[in-house]
Amino acid sequence: MVNGILIPIFMYPIMLWAVFTGMTFVQGINDGFVSRLAVDGPPPAAHSMLLDTIRGHERIQVREDAADPSVWDAQLAAGELDAIVSFRPIDAGALDDNFAVAVLYDRAEERSRQARERVRRLVDDYRTDWIAGRAESLDVDEAERTVFVLVGENVSSSEDIGQLLLGQMLSFFLVIMVALGCFIPSVDTTAGERERSTWETLMTVSASRSSIVTAKYLYVVTLGMVAGLLNVVAMMISMGAIVRPLLQANDEAIAFSIPLMAAPVMLAGATALALFFGAAMMILAAFARSFKDGQAMVTPVYWLVFIPILLGDQTDVNLSLGTALIPIANITMMIRDAIQGVFLWQWIGLTLAVTMALVVACLLLARQILKFEDFLMGSFDGSFWRFAKEKLFA
Amino acid sequence: MTDMSQATVRVSDLRKTFYDESRGEVHAVDGLSFDCHPGEVFGLLGANGAGKTTTLRMLSTVLKPSGGTASVMGHDIERDPEAVRRSLGFYSASTALYPRLTARETIEFFTRINGYPAERVQQRVEELVDRFGIAEYQKGRVDKLSSGMKQKVSIARTMAHDPPVLIFDEPTVGLDVMNALAMVKVIRELKEEGKTIIFSSHIMSEVEKLCDRIGIVHRGKLLALGTLDELRAVTGEHYLEDVFLDYVKRAEGIVGEAEIGPAGALHAAGDELPDRSP
Repeated sequence: MVNGILIPIFMYPIMLWAVFTGMTFVQGINDGFVSRLAVDGPPPAAHSMLLDTIRGHERIQVREDAADPSVWDAQLAAGELDAIVSFRPIDAGALDDNFAVAVLYDRAEERSRQARERVRRLVDDYRTDWIAGRAESLDVDEAERTVFVLVGENVSSSEDIGQLLLGQMLSFFLVIMVALGCFIPSVDTTAGERERSTWETLMTVSASRSSIVTAKYLYVVTLGMVAGLLNVVAMMISMGAIVRPLLQANDEAIAFSIPLMAAPVMLAGATALALFFGAAMMILAAFARSFKDGQAMVTPVYWLVFIPILLGDQTDVNLSLGTALIPIANITMMIRDAIQGVFLWQWIGLTLAVTMALVVACLLLARQILKFEDFLMGSFDGSFWRFAKEKLFA
Repeated sequence: MTDMSQATVRVSDLRKTFYDESRGEVHAVDGLSFDCHPGEVFGLLGANGAGKTTTLRMLSTVLKPSGGTASVMGHDIERDPEAVRRSLGFYSASTALYPRLTARETIEFFTRINGYPAERVQQRVEELVDRFGIAEYQKGRVDKLSSGMKQKVSIARTMAHDPPVLIFDEPTVGLDVMNALAMVKVIRELKEEGKTIIFSSHIMSEVEKLCDRIGIVHRGKLLALGTLDELRAVTGEHYLEDVFLDYVKRAEGIVGEAEIGPAGALHAAGDELPDRSP
């Protein structure tokens, strides 16, 4: 109840709120820092204004009085100084008094990176103003000197942008949450039974073994599906209520909506995934003799899932014959495409067929495994690999 | 009294062989044969590792026999395992309860999963709650109950579907004196009701108190089978502990021919006494 339903519903709004609040808080702290700069020598006399600008910045404190500048290196290393600025002459031919502003900073320190950034902005502004001044003195107006510029125009509607974001995020989280939703129940219904010593209790009830296994499997699959779909709903609500106002504050118009036809595709995808994850995870966890061992056996599968998800989620390639054959990645792409309004029905069918073929393979393997009494009694040191070596491939 | 003429449990030349990496083939059960009857408490007596639990696991269809046959209420344990499980309740230290269910939910769950008629489930649960005095804590979660309370719920769970045959494998292990005595009392009551009870233990006093007939198991073999008086008469020993040791020593070849006494003349190690069930 808590893991499968309440957490998915309330997790995302709270998580997003916490993340944005945290980011704002950290940003505020960073912005409040005063950058401690040491300036090693003045710039060429014609550009002394740059140094004055740096000195005049309200969040920069300049030190220029060291008898021995090597002391600054030690202070920078000790975190007592954020950056050392020096002006190095550049022989640029036509331009007199050209120079580079060298900033020695500690990239591993946030304050130091921020000091460098502040200097960079000041130098950029100074350069822009200087060029503008020189152009004016040469009677070159802004239109003449602003050439070969890039102008981008977005043809996407606010709905398209929303669907792009939703497609990438929801497909990713749906697959992850279905896997996560199957994770704990699959371990609990197998290794958990052994740990609690209820495994043998169940084996002595008059219900057939196959009906017990089927009931367990359907329980795992249902929880996986419910967890995945509830998470998607919760994420959509969170995106609309929290992310959209933030993005709109940056003048980015976004509308979060998905095509109606995406809903059955997502449902089919979540069902196929839950059937696959449920079967695969239960097979592995059934060998473990404790909940902890079960978790250890299933965790690598969970992390392996990320590889095809990223493959399916992070490319712009639509579902095709080739990609529809890659398990998990195909479902991720299918869901992402559907959210973005792309329905390639023949590849959707192939994707579901490939996933169901995997499910059937897992169920056949499970059927074979259940025939071994040693497995039922918890032999093989809780290892699927030892079982496979001794029984399946022997 | 229930009709004693028909055997409810028949075990014939039952065998179980395991393969162990260090020991090779292990004959955990090696040709066991016995029958049990309604209203009888049949005791399997043996040291740890003698093969008692393996035998009972085969009877309850948890394990498949390597050889021989067995049936419960006429149902073959290999051919019709579900019918066998419908006819028996299995209680052992390794058959625990679900900690997150309440006592009542536990009984109801096992009543349903054992195929008890749906319309009579609540009535059956009430009967069991009343019978074992569970009413007071029926809504308490199993993991919050004392070991005595858990024991009662466990027995109620075993009897949920009212099976004619009940197997109790070392039921008093880990229980204090009071709870162990309560368990003995329940088994006596069940016997009075005409249930067939197979009771396995290595605690001699319990076997002495409870069992109508006793089978002594050692290294997977049935060394002797009879009433306590018959075993006493054969060995010439009074206490069951001594009777048991006498048979085991004989089986191990520890005692000489002269020391064997009357039992030695009648039964060599590994042989069975004639079945003298009442």
